[in-house]
Formats: sequence, C-alpha cells, structure tokens
Amino acid sequence: MKLNPPRIWTALLAVGLFGTVLRAQPASPPPDLVLRNATVMTASHGTIEHGSVWVHAGKIAAVGATVDAPASAVVVDATGKWVTPGIIDPHSHSALSNDVNEATSPVTPSMMMIDAFDNRDAALYHALAGGVTTELLLHGSANMIGGQAVVIKNKFGLARDAMLFPNAPRSIKFASGENPKRVYGGRNQLPSTRMGNFEVMRQAFEDAKVYMAGWDAYNAKVAKKDATAVAPKKDLKLEALADVLRGKLYVQIHCYRADEFLTEEAIAHEYGYKIRAFHHALEMYKVAGKIAAEDTAIATFTDWWGFKDEAWDAIPWNAVMSMRQGVRVALKSDSNDHIRRLNQEAGKMVRYGGATEDEAIRMVTLNPAWIIGVDDRVGSIDSGKDADLVVWNMDPLSTYARAEKVYIDGDLFFDITASGFGTPHFSGAMHSADDSGSEDSGEEGLQ
Amino acid sequence: MTVRATILSLALLAAFSVSPALAANPPLPPVPKKGEVVAITGGKLLTVSHGAIENGVLLIVDGKISAVGTSAQVTVPAGATIVDARGLTVYPGLIDPDTTLGLIEVGADEMSNDTAEPSDEIMPHMHVYDAFHAETQLIPVARLNGVTNAVVAPGTDDSVAGQDIFIQLAGANREQLGATILGRDIALAMNYGADQRRRGGKSQFPSTRMGLITQLRQALLDAQNYETSRDAASKKPESSDAKAGDKDAAKGDKDAPKPFARDLKLEALLPYLHGERPVVVGVYEAYDVESIMRVAQEFHLKVILNHVTRTQEILDEIAAWKVPVIVGPIYELPRANERYDAVFTLPAELARRGVKIALSSGEAGGPGGAHTVRNLPYAAGFAAAYGLPYDDALKAITLNVAEMFGFGDKLGSLDVGKTANIVLASGDPLDVRTDVKQVYIEGVAQPMVSRQTMLRDEYSK
Repeated sequence: MKLNPPRIWTALLAVGLFGTVLRAQPASPPPDLVLRNATVMTASHGTIEHGSVWVHAGKIAAVGATVDAPASAVVVDATGKWVTPGIIDPHSHSALSNDVNEATSPVTPSMMMIDAFDNRDAALYHALAGGVTTELLLHGSANMIGGQAVVIKNKFGLARDAMLFPNAPRSIKFASGENPKRVYGGRNQLPSTRMGNFEVMRQAFEDAKVYMAGWDAYNAKVAKKDATAVAPKKDLKLEALADVLRGKLYVQIHCYRADEFLTEEAIAHEYGYKIRAFHHALEMYKVAGKIAAEDTAIATFTDWWGFKDEAWDAIPWNAVMSMRQGVRVALKSDSNDHIRRLNQEAGKMVRYGGATEDEAIRMVTLNPAWIIGVDDRVGSIDSGKDADLVVWNMDPLSTYARAEKVYIDGDLFFDITASGFGTPHFSGAMHSADDSGSEDSGEEGLQ
Repeated sequence: MTVRATILSLALLAAFSVSPALAANPPLPPVPKKGEVVAITGGKLLTVSHGAIENGVLLIVDGKISAVGTSAQVTVPAGATIVDARGLTVYPGLIDPDTTLGLIEVGADEMSNDTAEPSDEIMPHMHVYDAFHAETQLIPVARLNGVTNAVVAPGTDDSVAGQDIFIQLAGANREQLGATILGRDIALAMNYGADQRRRGGKSQFPSTRMGLITQLRQALLDAQNYETSRDAASKKPESSDAKAGDKDAAKGDKDAPKPFARDLKLEALLPYLHGERPVVVGVYEAYDVESIMRVAQEFHLKVILNHVTRTQEILDEIAAWKVPVIVGPIYELPRANERYDAVFTLPAELARRGVKIALSSGEAGGPGGAHTVRNLPYAAGFAAAYGLPYDDALKAITLNVAEMFGFGDKLGSLDVGKTANIVLASGDPLDVRTDVKQVYIEGVAQPMVSRQTMLRDEYSK
C-alpha cells in the first residue's frame, strides 16, 4: 500500500503542531533492575515482607527475600514501599475515540476495537497513574454480539502498535438484557425483549453453522485435491461468528441477571463454545455454584448498584460470595474514573465479605489476566513473567495508597517524582474523549 | 437452600424487578426510654472539634450527647446501658453535602426519577420536600456506612433548580418525629455552565452562557421588583380597604382592590436575595465561576460554591471571596494535558488557602450522589491521600457541612449537647477496608439492615 501524501502531511503537521513525540519501542532492553526491600504482594504465592524483585530483559528474573542480581543492576530502594503486579482491567472502553458501540445492528462481530484505539487518549495516562498496566478494551453493550476487543499494555508514550499486547488471545464482546432491548426496542426493531435478544443470537449462530459447513466442505475437497472445489464467499461477519464456534475467540458477555447467566450457558452448550467471563455479573451470588462448574469467570463492579432495573439486586458482597463458591472473580472499571483506583476497589473486598488481602489483590491482577487469557505472562510476580510492576507508597488496598512507579516490561512508564505528567515516555499533547465539560460522554449507557 | 415465606417475596421481587416501593424496609429500632443513659466506652473517639481521645467515654441521654472524654474524665452513671467499643473507632455521623437521595430510586427508570424539573431554567419554587421519598431503599444502604445526614438537592439541569432539604437518614417516613427532614428550603440550588443551555439546540432562548446569565439577572431583578410591589400593596390600610372592598365588590365596583396576586416563583427567590440562606452554585470551569460570581456579588447572594473541579488557575481568587466550597466530586476527571492528580489535590489546595471545604459522594459528571452516598468517607480519604490533612478531611464530611447549612450547633462533632448521631467502626472511617459496626441516630441504635444485607443473608444460607 502506498502512503497517501496528504496523510503524511497530516502526520507531520500533528507532530509539528503539538510537538508530540511518540517513541518507538526501545531497541535494546533496559538494564537489569532490582526493587529492593519492599513488601511484595505476588498475587500467586502470598506476600513477602522485605522482599526483592529482580528484573532482567523486561522479565521478572527472580523474586524473594533475596535475589542474585548482577552488580550492574539498577537498584531501587523500596524500603517501606509495596510492590504488586501491574493492575489489569478486564473491562474498559477507554481510548476508543468515543466509538464504543456500532449500534446499527444487534450482531456486529467483525467490528475490531483496534480500529478506534487512540493511543494518546488522556484516559490511558490517568489509568497508568493508578497502576494499570494491561487493559481489555471492549465493544459496548448495545449489541447482543458486539465486536472484537483489543488488549493493550499501557505503555503510554509509545507508538500505537507498541502498545498492543503481543499475541494476546482474541476476545469478543456479547451483551444481554436491558441495553440491546433499549437500543433496538427504542427503534421498534428486533430485539425489544429478552426473548428477542436470545433469538437474535441463536439465528446468528445458525447462519454461522451453514457458513462453516460450506467452508468445511470446501476445505475437505481441497484436501482431497478435488479440482471442482470452489471457495465460498468470505463474509467477515459470519467468519467471526464461525471463529466463536471454532473456539478461536474468548467470549466475554455483558450480563447482569441470574436467569440470563443460565440461559447464556445453555446457548453456549447448544452451539459448543465456552464463555470466558460474565461482565458486570451483579447477580452472580445467586447462582455462583452453577457458574463455577462451567469454569466461567466474572468481572464485576464492587458496589455500583441501582442505576437500572437489572442492577437493583446488586450487593457489594457479590464478588466475595461468588469467589467462596468457586467462581474466579475479577474487578473491573467500565469507567475512566474507576480505572484510576481499582486498587481501592480491591480494598473494599476486604470489608465486604472478608477477602484476604491476597485474594483481594488477585481480583485486580491474576484473575483479570486469566479472563483476558494472558495469565501465563502477566498478573503475578513470578520469575519468567513480564516485569509489569507497581511500587506503591503503602498497602495498595488502603484508601491512601498512591502508585509511585509503574514499570511495564521492565521499563518505567510512570514516576510520581518526575516533573510534568510523570511519564518518562510521553511528552506533548494528549487527546481527550472526555473533554466536554462535566458530561462523561464516554460512559453513559455502557454499564 | 430453604426458602422461607418472607424471603420468597424478596426472591419474587428480584425475579420480576418490580417497583422498588414494594421492597421491605428494615424494621424500626426500639427507642431508649426517657432519661436512659447509653455509655459508649473504651473506643477511640474522633471528636472532629477537639481531636482524638483514646479509651474514651461518650454518654447519650435523650438523643443527645451528654458527656465526652477519657475514662478518667467521664463517670458512667449506674444503670447506664454500656456499649463496649474497645478496639473500635467512634465518630460523628457523616454528612453528605450534595445528594439526590429520595429523589431517585432506579437510575434508568424515569418514573422513579424526580431530580429536576427541566421545563424552564429558573425554577426556585421547586421544593425538594415535595418529591422527597423518605421510604427510599437507598437510605438504609447509605446509613449502613455511617452517613447519618445529607443535603438533598435537585439535579443540575436548571440554572436555578430549586430548594434543598437537610435530612436525617432515619425514620419510617418523613413526618416521623425526630426523623428524616430536619430542614426545608435550607438552600437554593443553582448551576452554571455548558449543561444548563437548553438541549433543544440553538432554537430556544437561552442557548448561550450570555443568555443564561441575562435570564438569571432578569429573574433576580424581577424578584426585587416583585418584593417592592408586594410591600407597597401590604402598606395600604387593610381593614378599611377590606371593608370597602367587600361593599364595593357587592356593588361591582371596578376600582375595588384585588387581593395581591402572589408569584410563588419570584417569592421563592426573596430569602436568598436577602442573604438569609445560602445559594449553592454548581459550576466547574474557572471562567464560569468568575461569571457567576459577578452576578452573585451584584445581588449579594450568600454563596456556597460546588464542584469547581477545573479552577486550578483561580484558587487564590476563590479564597479571596471567602465563600465555602463543596469540592468535587473529587473523582471528576482532569482536563486533557493536566497532571493526573489535578482534581485529587484540589481539596488540599483550597484548604491550604484557608477555604472552608466540604466533600460530596457524587460520581464524575452526574448530579449529587444517590446510590453512591455510602462511599462518602472514601472521597475524604482520597483527598487526604493527596495532601489534605486528615482532620480537615474528616471535617469536610462532618462539621464543615453542618456549619455551611446551619446545623453546626447540632451536628458534625462529638460535643456535649449535640445530637447523638454516632458511628462505631472497626477502624479508620476513611479507609475502604473499615467495617461500620453500629450507627446511632438521635441516640437510637439503627438496625444494620438494608435490602442488600437481606439479599446477602438469604443467599448465604
């Protein structure tokens, strides 16, 4: 593809006018790093008092009471500080240029959220300053089957592609309940009821089965070197749905009510796919045992409730009650505000249901990593994992905690002591999708 | 799981998501007998007004605090009911200065929403007490986290939105003695900025900030003129006029004086033009604050500023006005290209300049909190994390709020003679991990029950 000259001009102008410098990923990894003498919450194997973390080539090389780092390592004295894995938000709509919902059809599985991703949105910076290192950026909840998510590492200041989480599994967003009803019912279109909601889904999968069968037949012929094989037409929408049926997409479902969790699981069984997580999931405490058996996780609010009918039975004990029944529980923001203080949201779980600090921190690190499918690489402080680390001034579950340093792949992306924004990799001008005074234009109706 | 009859109704309620009005309220608590003494002993008292007292004793008689001090200073009388507060923190009930409690039940359900009357921009004659739903399920939820009082204000759609009430989060209904509405029309709610321009687009006045200010100024002038004519009418010799009037009316005399036609809208503005009660002005941007303050000063309004989250460049000016400020919500997002903590540090920056500040529970971008009122203490904690001294943070959700709205002699601190609105918690009230154990309102131990605890308990079986 040739570069379009006007686009080049636009790009040059953007740099010239705003002075923004987007650095490429550093070619060589930063020097070894040791965070020394901190309270280290590993999220996977408890808390180490006076522990150290050794970072080599962007990965955690060792964690423990002592580490065998080379003398050349940069040592950060973290005496009195706390270190956690980077916070992971499994449900965000940040930095999507306000293009969250393609609400023109209840089935839009070929929408790719990466196409709306604005890597200079100030919301990313705000989240970074709250210790957030990985985000799952999801389509909105207007559609029963929305679009495909983008997974980012919050390397604010790097080029757009350098912020993508390398080789992260693909996720697709489904919704249910009031939002699709409201959006399409309001236009006198299908669906306007929960009956309509689920029927729209079933029909979509029936169509996808036919499409898949066509391709399977074609591929079989090709395998047999049958010269009469004619490739079916590629259809982006059906292709995406077929990938759901093939198990190639993690299914993330916006769902509030207990009855709907059960219906969603039944439909998943009927068509042979797995549900990775229910998002919001405010009534999970009512049917947690059943959903635990399905190995479906939840990404829930801590204490938001009452904003609509299907949030009327929300209780702040939901997360811990569900966890005690075997559900893997993550907390999430769904908000450019809450994403800045997910550590506090985790702290609330100590109070509402008596989570241990270890369980609480896991809800914003390792468990959301599992939901996104990157728990083998991030979400805990274990050797071999990516060095995504946050240094806090105190116990991160406290109201008073502040993230002081945020490392991603061993590189420092936020430093509270640095001047200006405190972002070693970003200078220049940020964008804001929330620049419209007091209206939170990005959030309304997404819950 | 055993399903009992009472619980069945709750489950049915959940299943059908029916009107919240059908949901059960917690039971009413027993009220102590007259003269009965309740002694809360052994706890750490955060008095707000005079520091912390370790191993403190607090006595309650007839709904009021009768003694506060160390165990050495205060003698527990014989026969007192002892509440063992060892290991607990004891502090005055929290007060939220900006809520829509009782004006909204389910956010998305328009029929349960009475927050604003958007038919006109100038609506001073809207009285929150007319819409206030004391039986709301939201009150017990907020109370369980130690919020005992709140200002209920209309939503932010109008330039002049209506008049606030001051409530107590107790009682079965709003008429119940000692409960619920403590003050009517305690303040006038005003708003200024981009949001109050009519949403019908540009076709209707006022469609600009110029229009909004002109309209407001005219309304205030109209109210002054109205008062002049009303006073003139009342100065006419009443008895003879009335008699003559009766006679004349019988005769059908066209010159007979008519009864003075009251204009409730303009009349509603008068106490505020006299500076008798505060006007709470909700405004976000620095230049908007300056515009609206010009009008407020012109008419000598007694201003409490609200929000001011984008005023970092005029903090000295705000301090010079010597008006109290409800800062926040502290969770408002900063402007693009501001440092991430530009709003988090505002309470500290204003307090440092000597401004009396309060904090509210609202979430970003919305009207005052309703469902989020229980999180009021965490807003104060957040302000403390970003530089506000701890004592000031606690004051900003207790005594300062009481003083701003005329309840400083009754509420907001642990002092002798004040209403016994008291909270017992497992630790620091501003920390998210702290569990509230017991809430007293007017000395009555409130049931620690809400619809949410009932659901929790049922599904924990």
